[in-house]
Amino acid sequence: MWRFFDVQNTTNLTQLFMSAFRIFKQTSTKMTENAKPLVFNIIAECQTTKARTSKMILPHGEVDTPVFMPVGTQGTLKGMLPEQLEEMGLQIMLANTYHLGTRPGPKILEKAGGLHKFMNWNRNLLTDSGGFQMVSLLELAEITEEGVKFQSLNKTKGEVMLTPEHSIEIQNAIGADIIMQLDDVVQTTVPDKERIALSVESTNMHCRTTRWLDRALKVHKNPNTQNIFPIVQGTLHEDLRRISAKDLTQRVVNGYAIGGLSGGESKDEFWKIVHLCTDLLPKDKPRYLMGVGFAIDLVVCSALGVDMFDCVFPTRTARFGCALTMTGQLNLRKARFAKDFQPIDEDCTCNTCKRYTRAFLHGIVTELPVACHLLTEHNLAFQLRLMKSIRDSVCEQQFPAFVQKFVFDLYPDKNYPSWVKDALTAVNIKLL
Amino acid sequence: MKFFVRSSTKRCPRLGVLRCTEGKSEVEIETPVVLLHTQGGHIPHITHEVFKLVSKEPQILQIPLVSMHSFKDTMTYYNGTISEFIGSKNSLTCLTLHDPSNLTKQGHHTRDKIPIWTKRGKVLYDADMYMDVVESFKPNMYYLLSDGDTNKTSPQKRIAKAVEQTVVFNKQCLERHRKSEVLKKMFVMAPIAGGYCLKSREHCIDRALFIDANEIDGFLIDGLHNNGPEVEFLPFEEIKSILEFSVDKLPPEKLCSVQGCWSPLNVIKLVQCGIDMFDTSYCHILTERSAAMTFQIDTSDENNDYEINLRHHSLAEDFTPIIDGCECLACKKYTRAYIHHLLTVQELLAPVLIMIHNIHHYLRFFRKIRQCIANDTLDEFENFIAGRYENYQRKTTSSVEDKIISENIGDNI
Ligand SMILES: [Zn+2]
Ligand SMILES: [Zn+2]
Repeated sequence: MWRFFDVQNTTNLTQLFMSAFRIFKQTSTKMTENAKPLVFNIIAECQTTKARTSKMILPHGEVDTPVFMPVGTQGTLKGMLPEQLEEMGLQIMLANTYHLGTRPGPKILEKAGGLHKFMNWNRNLLTDSGGFQMVSLLELAEITEEGVKFQSLNKTKGEVMLTPEHSIEIQNAIGADIIMQLDDVVQTTVPDKERIALSVESTNMHCRTTRWLDRALKVHKNPNTQNIFPIVQGTLHEDLRRISAKDLTQRVVNGYAIGGLSGGESKDEFWKIVHLCTDLLPKDKPRYLMGVGFAIDLVVCSALGVDMFDCVFPTRTARFGCALTMTGQLNLRKARFAKDFQPIDEDCTCNTCKRYTRAFLHGIVTELPVACHLLTEHNLAFQLRLMKSIRDSVCEQQFPAFVQKFVFDLYPDKNYPSWVKDALTAVNIKLL
Repeated sequence: MKFFVRSSTKRCPRLGVLRCTEGKSEVEIETPVVLLHTQGGHIPHITHEVFKLVSKEPQILQIPLVSMHSFKDTMTYYNGTISEFIGSKNSLTCLTLHDPSNLTKQGHHTRDKIPIWTKRGKVLYDADMYMDVVESFKPNMYYLLSDGDTNKTSPQKRIAKAVEQTVVFNKQCLERHRKSEVLKKMFVMAPIAGGYCLKSREHCIDRALFIDANEIDGFLIDGLHNNGPEVEFLPFEEIKSILEFSVDKLPPEKLCSVQGCWSPLNVIKLVQCGIDMFDTSYCHILTERSAAMTFQIDTSDENNDYEINLRHHSLAEDFTPIIDGCECLACKKYTRAYIHHLLTVQELLAPVLIMIHNIHHYLRFFRKIRQCIANDTLDEFENFIAGRYENYQRKTTSSVEDKIISENIGDNI
């Protein structure tokens, strides 16, 4: 049963039935279409903000959005068994194309029958293009029309070229449900607008990222089982973002990513670009904001209309003894936890919070591998719970109130960061 | 907790049961039993939640004090038991001093104190400090403090000192045990020190039995080695006479245990001598070297190996499980190729999967041992495992030779 039928607030009932009607209509039309690897059914929309909640149907099952996708770079997630992740309700995770393309490599993945089978994960996967990883791990040599050229780090000092075609070829071998086009990766902090413009627009009909999308779509071998998402580029320049979004929305794709953010730009610039992009992108397709996953960012960007997020932070920080809570982060290495016999979070239902005290975790974090497993489980549970709260509150038309409370709990002194205030004001939420 | 042995004939493989009645629930654990070796309260790499996927049968966790020393102060403020504190309140626990999977540094003795080597360095324990820990941890079973720092090469002086210290510790610990309400209901085991000297062993046993045999539920044949991976290669002939001598001297109705990463073949030989209790530290040292146990337990098992190293490049495209037909989660759902991949990229899940299989296999091995005792077929099983082990050794030495030859050829090219 749809959750929002339980809602007791009668003033909203008409709206609810309206949106319910919309969904059922949508579902019935979508169902009749032939096998499409992505069906995006909006279940409810917030009447105040741009937030919405949906059921996205992918080849390996449903994904409830807004969704946070943890990063399992090398076909595994920080020592967690896929059995555990499934039990926790995880519906989709990320894997990195550059890493998997290097080891075990596309040949072995193909022989294994794809990454799902190789790693025993029967739910959805998303892979990146590999470009971003290569920029951060190798020395970027040159970006040409053909692709991205890197200086290899090994002794032979050879050059490696990643082309849009090659990226898709590897991602076809991996077999993720959502795959990313290779985009022209320019850091947001690059001040050179001309260089960025080259990435976005050109004398040709459309920008390089769009040309690369066309090349990617052309070589894509599995359009019935894998969705290519193009990536809106243009860094912090609104005009370039507009051009990029306009170009990409003319292509036949099932969803879009917003790229080139979370690369060190100021939050004041960041939210404005997200706000702009969600306005530019079509309402009936999922929007994926790449590399964003801090709790406050998830809440604000959901309000701005983003549906999908990914970030290494929650799992990476677990290794260093950091536990996430609704009121901020706990660094369990701190001596003050040595005699603290509470769970990390009273309200968390994860196995770590059911079994362990902060005092015990304090004594094993950063010392034992199991400590990393335990904190990873909690931090994942935290992210999943946060996203569920967002979805539920959107369904119940309680999202603005949820946001107000969430931000207040995080900043009880009401010393709200200006970007949070501004971004939420832009979508009609006034903080408490 | 009480121990009941089914046959009290001396020096023979024996079946028994450890019965633990706490409140309404009664737990029975059959012997020969293998304790689950832990570090920081967990089987290395395995959370309690994951262990539920390996086995749902009641188990005893072996808690080496050295890995829990950092909680010593914390536990004095904590109301529950060590099993609750480590997040596994339904498990039984057995407190011991050293970690059998790690080589214990020798020497550094101080009068009436025993050094343990924590991550932050040496800590000296005397009987009182040790019993404080036992009292605040509240394990179901524990060993009295002992000086087990002897091995095959220990000089007589060290052996004599080890016995002298152990006798004193036993006496001091038991005094505390008698006085404490908390300690009273615990299963107490007295360590027997004395290295490889029969006379010293005899002296230690005499003194232990002299104190009060009724208060002691079991014994530990201590001081055979200094723990760590080397124990796997300890030739049984070296310990045989000491072991038989000690077991003969001990009252047959009491539990008799050893610690350490004994090889499967030596485990059987130890069982043949009448040892009732072991630990899974062997699984840990194998997992650390990326090795999975593959020795045959039932003759119906298909595999022909003894142990495989999952790092080996030949497994990169091997999409079969560690053991075909193995019922463990790692074998049912994952391939050698995947584990090999996880190892080459140093991912945390690799040792998790290997350990799941190793623990599963080792628990199965002990079930088989108990079956064989019941059917009176332990000799056959011993010969069978001995044959497998010999095969494996021949194969590994020849493959090392092959490698040397091929490397030499490589040099010439
Ligand atoms: Zn939790
Ligand atoms: Zn197995």
